[in-house]
Amino acid sequence: MIEARSLTKRYGRKTAVDDVTFTVHPGKVTGFLGPNGAGKSTTMRMVVGLDLPTAGTVTVNGKRYAEHRAPLREVGTLLDAKAVHTGRTAYNHLLAQAATHGIGKARVQEVIGLTGLDSVAGKRVGGFSLGMGQRLGIAAALLGDPQTLILDEPVNGLDPEGVKWVRNLVRYLASEGRTVFLSSHLMSEMALTADHIIVVGRGRVIADAPVSDIIGRAEGGVVRVRTPQPDALERLLRAEGAQVASTEQGLLEVVGRTAAQVGDTAAAAGLALHELTPVASSLEDAYMQLTAEEVEYHSASPVGHLAGAGNPTVTTTGADAPSTESALR
Amino acid sequence: MTTTTVDSPAVTSRPRTTGSGPTFGRVLTAEWIKFRSLRSTVWTSSITVLVMVGLAFLMASLSTAVDDPSAQGIPASAAPMIVFGYYFGQLALAVLGVLVITGEYSTGMIRSTLTAVPKRLPALWAKALVAAVVGAVVATVAIALSALVTLPYLDGLGMTFDLSDGETLRVLGGGVLYLATITVFSLAVGAILRHTAAALATVLGLLLVVETVFQSIPHAFFQNVSPFLPGTAGSKLMMDDAGLEMAASMTSGPQLTPWQGYGVMLAWVVVLLATAAVLLRRRAA
Repeated sequence: MIEARSLTKRYGRKTAVDDVTFTVHPGKVTGFLGPNGAGKSTTMRMVVGLDLPTAGTVTVNGKRYAEHRAPLREVGTLLDAKAVHTGRTAYNHLLAQAATHGIGKARVQEVIGLTGLDSVAGKRVGGFSLGMGQRLGIAAALLGDPQTLILDEPVNGLDPEGVKWVRNLVRYLASEGRTVFLSSHLMSEMALTADHIIVVGRGRVIADAPVSDIIGRAEGGVVRVRTPQPDALERLLRAEGAQVASTEQGLLEVVGRTAAQVGDTAAAAGLALHELTPVASSLEDAYMQLTAEEVEYHSASPVGHLAGAGNPTVTTTGADAPSTESALR
Repeated sequence: MTTTTVDSPAVTSRPRTTGSGPTFGRVLTAEWIKFRSLRSTVWTSSITVLVMVGLAFLMASLSTAVDDPSAQGIPASAAPMIVFGYYFGQLALAVLGVLVITGEYSTGMIRSTLTAVPKRLPALWAKALVAAVVGAVVATVAIALSALVTLPYLDGLGMTFDLSDGETLRVLGGGVLYLATITVFSLAVGAILRHTAAALATVLGLLLVVETVFQSIPHAFFQNVSPFLPGTAGSKLMMDDAGLEMAASMTSGPQLTPWQGYGVMLAWVVVLLATAAVLLRRRAA
């Protein structure tokens, strides 16, 4: 269990993490989702004491990380793939890390086998690909057989096989009752891997809910309507406050109304419908929605770029959408 | 590489144990593993030995061809001749001391180190101890080999070599102490600056440039400060009595005895290590 209370980190005038409070529970994979620069890594670094909080506290299983008698047996950490001396072999890196906790060579060999590093364990880390570096980081995190795992962008640089392996691994670890806290900026990956998601944007928690809730409750589900009288229907729907976009002649994509509401509106006006399809909103849509506010006021931020690229048919929803933050809490 | 692992994510289940954590002995073992598993440390150690033995050999073999050795600044007794190469040998050990810590900052390894030892200071003390012991062992090997290659020439120079002689022991043992201390000194500077180039420039600039400049400027301020600079102070331990007299005649500043000089050098190391410790506790890694 990881508990952050009013965790804040400022670098000079820049606030990287802003009064963040959350709890990561055991037995689940908890995703930590946000665009680059949202404060994910800084938060994780504060959990293990590499960065000192400006204000607030964060504990792992009730204690500050540094107060644990055997930190590596308590918490396994992959902070980034570059926390290894490039001139040392993978085996010696793990051996040295293990030695600090009296963990034997047998366990070192075990985690090497587990992460599929057998063939490169004797090679210097400087020549490793990003994917091999990630595997080495995961091997180091598993050394102490810890109850809690903190993995910062573990699938970064992995091939599809590796991504699937990490997904299976973390799900298995969570099923054993361990606490797994995993960051990513890939929403699609989180949808498949995580049980619970904490979304952060610009240093603040935007949402903290089960994956299904985030997808289910999010605004922005699109209803696709095909009609011979698109102009009339569009006018009516807009009058009701819906947002309507048209990608081809006779096809409307409606945001802000359910399929039933769209159907009723059309029936009341005597308009024919040839198709009426609710398009399930993906986690990606939900994520765009959640961060839309950031987009609205900071159009130069990376989220703005993503929102534009990922959601071409939906007009900007930020200003009209009710506060999803409160809805999701 | 990946196929064998994709379908079998099983982590060996073992009884949960809070186990025991990073005792100082374990941290020391880890630092030793780290030290011996890098090529740079092997290289710098070997270079120290080569340089010191080579210079002692050159000094001894070439001195036999000189008519008036003392006028050429050539040591008048065996022990100072044997440790003669310390001045250049210390440069390689300084590089070694600096790299022990800055190598971790430049590669990011420090994050792994401090995650395993979150109380942080044991890792610094362990590194300092490894650096001191390695510096002492390398110096001992270098000085012993230097003695071996010098011995055949001593008769021709009219010198005797007697390990039971107090002064000889102080000079040779002083060489070991001085070089071990310089290694830790460099590590402390590296721990404060956390940057290889900056730390190397500082240590080598101090030992090679600053100390020499202070020594040679005939102004009261420089002459008064010079004896208290770490290299100048510590190297008194490697001078025989004749050397000390000659050094005294060349300066108007305060005169330290060999052990006072070494004490000053140790004080530098203590202050720098303490500074490094305070900074290590405070700074983000």
